[in-house]
Amino acid sequence: MSHIHINVENLEFAYDRVKDTRKDDSQDNRIIKDVSFRACENDSIGIIGANGVGKSTLLKLLVGLELNFTGQIRVEEIPLEKKTLSRVREKIGYVFQDSDSQLFMTNVYQDVAFAPRNYGLPQEEVDRRVKNALSSVHIEHLRDKPVHALSGGEKKLVSIATILSMIPDIILMDEPSAALDPKNRRNLINILNEFDHMKIITSHDLDFIWDTCNRILLMADGQIVADGTPDEILKNKELLEANGLELPLSLMQR
Amino acid sequence: MSKINKAIGEIQNLTQMAEQDQWMNRIHPLVKLLLTVMYIGVTVSFDKYDFSGVLSMAVYPIIIFILSDLSFKNALYRMRVVLPVVCIVGVFNPFFDKEVAGYIELGTTADGVMRTLVVTGGVVSMLSLMVKGFLTVTAAYILIATTTIEKICYALRLIHVPKIIVTEILLIYRYITLLLTEAKRVVQAYSLRAPGQNGIKFSAWGSLVGQMLIRSMDRAENVYDSMCLRGFDGEFFIGEKVAFRGRDAAFLLSGIVVFVVFRCFPVFEMVGELF
Repeated sequence: MSHIHINVENLEFAYDRVKDTRKDDSQDNRIIKDVSFRACENDSIGIIGANGVGKSTLLKLLVGLELNFTGQIRVEEIPLEKKTLSRVREKIGYVFQDSDSQLFMTNVYQDVAFAPRNYGLPQEEVDRRVKNALSSVHIEHLRDKPVHALSGGEKKLVSIATILSMIPDIILMDEPSAALDPKNRRNLINILNEFDHMKIITSHDLDFIWDTCNRILLMADGQIVADGTPDEILKNKELLEANGLELPLSLMQR
Repeated sequence: MSKINKAIGEIQNLTQMAEQDQWMNRIHPLVKLLLTVMYIGVTVSFDKYDFSGVLSMAVYPIIIFILSDLSFKNALYRMRVVLPVVCIVGVFNPFFDKEVAGYIELGTTADGVMRTLVVTGGVVSMLSLMVKGFLTVTAAYILIATTTIEKICYALRLIHVPKIIVTEILLIYRYITLLLTEAKRVVQAYSLRAPGQNGIKFSAWGSLVGQMLIRSMDRAENVYDSMCLRGFDGEFFIGEKVAFRGRDAAFLLSGIVVFVVFRCFPVFEMVGELF
């Protein structure tokens, strides 16, 4: 049996809301409702669903960016809570949807070296990790380039490199193909398929999910409504349409 | 909009300048920080009527500009916003201080009358304050242009400036670019829907500034999340330990000697008396 990396049980979450006397407080404001799943080391999971179903929130919960949830999240048997945050985050790399939010240092080297330096590694090890991370996404030539001078595709790859330098066991990506042109998108797919990390990817781009994932979680209204292989879910037109999605473009008849 | 782009570009240019592998950039950051602080202190300490003394302090920036290959023209361009503010400080002195400080001979007229220009204490103190302001801002510019913000913060930590203040300085420096980027987006969105309009209508300012603030707070929160996810625990990495070498000690020592000599002796007057 594969080693379980993430175990989510009965997860529920609601954002804090400003009390509005005009609204009925009994209204259900939960974003995530009773979500349970297990993710193993061979999994490359695509979380799909219409806008606002809670995909990005679920990812944020998995890395502890929101902690006031109920239920349980265990990452490699470590329960996710405030006191275990740093241990959990060492194991997980999270790539933001907006690369500009992820890249804040002056040049690519500085940004990729940010995590290893924070973990107090010696300079030689920092250099080695930066080199390996950049070569994993084939952008060694960008090492000294200022972050503001990167293209959208380059920023996305640098964002991935910034988390690879942490040597995470698990990679979470929020809408990785957003705002990428077809060439950069294909490049990203090829790179992701080279990784042997466990991956959890949220996206509206079902073709991207089709090309990169071996398991799909379909979300609707804060819940997981289907869990299966790409063949089982992405080819099921009725299921997708019932949950506000369409067949991947590559499967549509023209 | 292009002004915001230029501002972002200027910040990036300054950062790149500071990262260059030049002679002055290689000097220990603590030495540069200490000399800058001392220079500012010494320059400000001159009496308001000691114009020649203040002027003599220009020696330090002149030497550094020559040695470090910094462009004086670019420096003036980058300081263009601050300099007028600094220079305006003493502009009212001539109106309040009318005591005669000296005369400048302008020659004699055809009928043998000596023409002189009366220089009041107010004029001298105004010029003195302007030069002081110019020189101190220039010294700060030299420090920023030859030292990265991380190294300045490293030097601050060496002199035991509290960790939280140093981290704040670093984050604010990063936040400036972030705020400018958000401002650029908001102004761009406005101008695309207000063709042919010069600037932004007064009535739109409130909502634009509010939007900008909310957006930049969101961005700041995302950046902070991103930092935390990569092991940030409240202390920014501010560079590898920088070795203190002989040339750093020599530079510090020569700087101190120059400052002391120019502060304690009227060097310009002494040189003038030689001729």
